[in-house]
Amino acid sequence: MTILVNERTRLLVQGITGKVGSFQAKIMKDYGTTIVAGVTPGKGGATVYGIPVYDYVEEAVEAHRPDVALSFVPARFAKDAAIEAIENQLKLIILTAAGIPDQDMVAILNFAASSGVQVLGPDTPGLVSPGKCKAGVHPNRVLKEGKVGIVSKSGALSYEVCKLLTESGIGQSTIVGIGGGPLWGLTQRDVLAMFEEDSETGITILLGEVGGMMEHEAAAFIEKYARKPVIALIVGYDAPRGAQMGHAGAIIEGDRETAESKVKALKQAGAFIADNPAEIVSRIESLGV
Amino acid sequence: MRLLEFQAKRLLREQGIPVPNSKLLISSEDLHDLSYPIVLKAQVPVGGRGKAGAIKTVFDAQEAASTLRALLNTTVKDHPVKAVLAEEKVAIEKELYLSFLIDKHANRPMVMASAAGGMDIEEVAQRSPQRIIKKHVTLCPGLPNYLPRFLAKRLGAEPHTKAFVELFSKLFYIFQDYDATLVEINPLVVTPTGLMALDAKMLLDDKARFRQGERFDEFLKEQAPLVAEAKPEAERLAEEKGITYVQLDGTVGMISDGAGTGMLALDLIKATGGEAANFCELGVFGGTETMRDAMEVVLANSQTKALLISLIGGLTRMDEVAEGIVAYLQQNEVCVPLVVRMCGTEEERGKEMLRAVGIQTLDDLPTAVRTAVSRAKG
Repeated sequence: MTILVNERTRLLVQGITGKVGSFQAKIMKDYGTTIVAGVTPGKGGATVYGIPVYDYVEEAVEAHRPDVALSFVPARFAKDAAIEAIENQLKLIILTAAGIPDQDMVAILNFAASSGVQVLGPDTPGLVSPGKCKAGVHPNRVLKEGKVGIVSKSGALSYEVCKLLTESGIGQSTIVGIGGGPLWGLTQRDVLAMFEEDSETGITILLGEVGGMMEHEAAAFIEKYARKPVIALIVGYDAPRGAQMGHAGAIIEGDRETAESKVKALKQAGAFIADNPAEIVSRIESLGV
Repeated sequence: MRLLEFQAKRLLREQGIPVPNSKLLISSEDLHDLSYPIVLKAQVPVGGRGKAGAIKTVFDAQEAASTLRALLNTTVKDHPVKAVLAEEKVAIEKELYLSFLIDKHANRPMVMASAAGGMDIEEVAQRSPQRIIKKHVTLCPGLPNYLPRFLAKRLGAEPHTKAFVELFSKLFYIFQDYDATLVEINPLVVTPTGLMALDAKMLLDDKARFRQGERFDEFLKEQAPLVAEAKPEAERLAEEKGITYVQLDGTVGMISDGAGTGMLALDLIKATGGEAANFCELGVFGGTETMRDAMEVVLANSQTKALLISLIGGLTRMDEVAEGIVAYLQQNEVCVPLVVRMCGTEEERGKEMLRAVGIQTLDDLPTAVRTAVSRAKG
């Protein structure tokens, strides 16, 4: 059973009637994901590519028992949609929106924690267990079923790596995008811990970037608990201090937030450091996993 | 304490919740300035008044006088009636029920609502409880009162506890109300007359602009002429167009459709012996317009000798960004070599659109980087 999602996952798509939500819902459904329902306030009764749409999460839950919510709701309405999903006890909510105000994220994350609900994101591409469930926006062509678990802050960086892996015949167990921050639900450390316990995953890849201390926390976890091989790739060596490199969380404000410092900590913790995606592939090939 | 109906309704009215026009009657001398029909309601702190005969509709002054006298002489469920509320009679289409209460089983506030409101609500609750919707409400504890007192003690400012408590809650109010990510007073000084903020620093969350709009705009407008810094043309343009752009020192221009893949491209450019001219990414939902604007911004930097556009679409649709590239090329003459790597969502359509204007896309990022680096060197 893969982590977080699997072939039994019943997905709810919030914001399903929007341009992006409906487009991505179709791709996910075609991929084989069981999307049981969608929600858009005011659009109840409609269908999107055969998926029934409800006004409220509670109505969708009553009719279809979804267990994971993927939200395409724009930042300004994201908090309310998330609170609604949490109140209805979906076990995982995925927030694709970037630009959710910090104070809204604080409310979402605290409420989720006290309700026992996991949050992925914000600013996340979602996650996918190839061949089982796609609850995300990853391009299909880069996906292949296999044993490599990937956790990444950046969506597109994980696509880059998956593309090379798949082209080299190396499949993935689950690809988890934790999002661009600056506040996070699930962290790199949380996902590494799940991969460590996951029988479907033989090797893990950590894709990190400049800014924040999360990679150091991941390194501390790897040093203490990781038995499976971890390969890490950190990007942003050239990022100037104080510059926002796209993601809200990708800004170097202290010495330990640089790529060099993170790489050093991960190396000391026992992770293999790849300088580029091609080195990830050759490392996996040499490990023979 | 249970409020009498007229007190509770006064509270509602003060909050702007509509209630019928009314007048409190203590004796028959108060029976003037009323337009009939009116409803006379005994003000006693018990429920079920309608069924106990303590609510009567009257149609003229004479009937009102006799009914009022009778009500003031009765006792409703052991409560002698001392006051009667006279209310205008309202045309009713539907009676609903709505309440908040503390649910002692769940230790949480609960909202109850029903489409079967009115006199029989107790019966509805007993016979068909499913007709009453019950929902819990979650509250956060917020700022506890002990905290500023505790801090005042720890800071050695105990003699000023009262002032500190007040300042503390006001500062927190600003923090929340303005969507701040930092409010800082340093130093907060103790003077012979009390506390005072000698310096202040505040960071406001740009992501909250959608709800802070005017306030944030006013701050910006006010400080604009005061913080004018010399910015490169491309950065100024990027700000104007809302494009993520960081100017660097090299010659290889770079546009990506993701932050991580963009930083990877920068690292690869360096590893390949080149120097990036900038970092620029389209961000979530970057489409046609964003792509066109990004090209305008990056090419405004005169150091750019080649432009690498690296696209691996998930949310970003290759057909939309291809449209942006084509639109830019149609309106502008591009004097530097253009290298496009394109794959991902809707890539077939995107590639086709670019082929139509003579652009062959690459599929592999390292190859695209090598090409761009060597073109930049001429």
